[in-house]
Amino acid sequence: MKTLVNVGNGKKVKIVKISGGRGVRQHLQCLGIHVGDIVTLKKSSFLGGPVLLEINGYDVALGKGVASKIEVEEVE
Amino acid sequence: MKIAFIGQPNAGKSTIFNGLAGYKTVTANFPGQTVHYTVSKVTVGNETFEIVDLPGIYSLTAIDKAELESRKYILSGYADVVINVIDASTLSRSLELTLQLAELQVPMVICLNMIDEAHRKGLEINTEKLSQIFGVPVIETIANKGIGLDKIFTSAREAFNKKLIPQVQSFHKDIEEKIEEIEKIIPSDFINRIPRRYIAVKLLEGDSELTERIKNYSEIYSKIKEIREEIKITHGRHADTVISSERHALTMNLFEEVTKVGEPIKSFRDKIDNLLTNRYFGYPLLFIILFGIFFMVFEIGKIIENPLIDIFDSFIRKLPNIIEENSLPFCLLKGLLEGFSGGLGIAIPYLIPFFIGLTILEDIGYLPRMAFLIDTVMHRIGLHGKSVLPFIISYGCNVPGIMTTRILESPRDRFITATLSVFIPCAARTTIIFGIVGAYIGGLAAANLYIFNIIFIMFLGILMKKFIPEITPGLIMEIPPLRIPTLKNVFIKTWLRLKDFILVAWPLLVVSSIILSFLEYLKLDSYLNTLMSPLVNWFLGLPEQVGITLIFGILRKELSMIMLFQAMHTTQLNTVMTNIQLIVFTIFTIFYMPCVGTIGVLIKEFGTRKTVLITFLTIIIALLLAGLSRVILSFIND
Repeated sequence: MKTLVNVGNGKKVKIVKISGGRGVRQHLQCLGIHVGDIVTLKKSSFLGGPVLLEINGYDVALGKGVASKIEVEEVE
Repeated sequence: MKIAFIGQPNAGKSTIFNGLAGYKTVTANFPGQTVHYTVSKVTVGNETFEIVDLPGIYSLTAIDKAELESRKYILSGYADVVINVIDASTLSRSLELTLQLAELQVPMVICLNMIDEAHRKGLEINTEKLSQIFGVPVIETIANKGIGLDKIFTSAREAFNKKLIPQVQSFHKDIEEKIEEIEKIIPSDFINRIPRRYIAVKLLEGDSELTERIKNYSEIYSKIKEIREEIKITHGRHADTVISSERHALTMNLFEEVTKVGEPIKSFRDKIDNLLTNRYFGYPLLFIILFGIFFMVFEIGKIIENPLIDIFDSFIRKLPNIIEENSLPFCLLKGLLEGFSGGLGIAIPYLIPFFIGLTILEDIGYLPRMAFLIDTVMHRIGLHGKSVLPFIISYGCNVPGIMTTRILESPRDRFITATLSVFIPCAARTTIIFGIVGAYIGGLAAANLYIFNIIFIMFLGILMKKFIPEITPGLIMEIPPLRIPTLKNVFIKTWLRLKDFILVAWPLLVVSSIILSFLEYLKLDSYLNTLMSPLVNWFLGLPEQVGITLIFGILRKELSMIMLFQAMHTTQLNTVMTNIQLIVFTIFTIFYMPCVGTIGVLIKEFGTRKTVLITFLTIIIALLLAGLSRVILSFIND
């Protein structure tokens, strides 16, 4: 399954599933990241580093651990 | 009338607050900068308003300690009017908080801040429509330019007088039915000042605090669990996810209703931003920026310091001509002058450029980018990128640095970050590094001390990770857009930080200096020094007179240095101490024992037991590092 960690720079993806505990889930929800949202990868993970994504016009950084819990599918 | 500013992190609440109340709190372009609330009274015409600036909160389900503080305040029902401050450029997300605030049924004003930023992103917001939907006033502001702030009090008054309570927006019918079902069974004495609907929704979401409290009513608790299970079965997802998606869908609908989305203006800023977080250029730039600030502070400080010190020196030398030498008034006057010149001549020249540098870094919004860049490194020491904020703030002063650990999610991360923060050389210790090692040995040696310090902190972090292992939740952080700092803000913030030094530290320097003179007059200083001499003289190889300065250094770290000049009776330390002694002294003062202010905040945030532990650790480490550097440096020198 594809997660946010293995998506290339500049790609647009749709979030299909967020696994992980309630804490992480809620934290992501608070920042406006939900299943079904379309996000753009601004900086993909580099050497196990975090990813930077754009969602609804603002940027959010996610550590690799968190990013690997978000399953996505490519759009377009 | 009490007015509370509530909004998501980095929406500009503190900027608005400062614009209204005069400059009271420190702002920065970093989500979660404000970690505790500030209250101020403002009189407009003949009416006095009490305004409260709360820490930013993404949602009424609190994630970290700072958010919890906000939520507690909001739920306490103290506020007569709530001003929901929204970063207009993130409207689609911000409205989720607005929906939750509406459930609290308190008169409200929606304040769309940074409306210029929204326009840059191509958003046109129909404020009238938004106002109609919620039934409350909507105003537009650009807080950092002071635009629109005058409307805040008039609309707050209007909302209060006309009881403009926001309209609750409904979810889908099936969820509404469940909410109603819970509303009916909540006992009437259960937190009765808060609207039932809010409690019902939060219980459905599994809010930890409220759930804990409803457990006292076991029947109701099991019924709620049942309802949550039902939702999970019918929707195929956890109840909290379902509610959150409902809210998300609702906000997206509202957003589309009130906003026209055009083309964003691609600007130069985006290009710079892209470069700052670039995987190849980001790190060299980080290095250049930090060392740029370091050398700026060092060079500017030196230029201001030398002439100032000369003036005071010549004055102190002339003193015996005016008053009889070694009389009591002579000693006291000399102490006063030395304390005064220490503050003005040695501390302030380095503090001003340092605070300016720190402020610019904060206001541009570079710190969140730093957090992004060094997230990987932070994971090595068992933390994640967000800890960068407490660390960087600690370079200014450990006290706010430690308070900023509240933005971290887990207590373990908070404790480790705070422990490591204590070792970060604050502005006071920076003046020691620059005033002693920088001034007598050179800028490079001073820079090396910083690098040595960072390497040590990383090492300690790795060690602590071994003792307190736990998987940290990982980095989840908004990266706000880069902003151009306003000159006024940089100036005022630098002044605000400097004021702290002038009002608290400087008088303390002068008084301690006089006390030292008095002790010298009574010949009591040698008694204290003898007491300290096994440590100072035998173990660290420093002159015996240094002992007393280390005792005073616990009050304020700069005291050690300024009193050192006094104790050694010279401002030319290199004539009485060797380079090795200067370095050993500096290393010891960097690491040993947090100052009184830091100990105070540690006790407040972590309790006495942990504070004692941290203090004990710092003393051992200081002894170890200073002793070791003495041995190694002497060895190299031979």
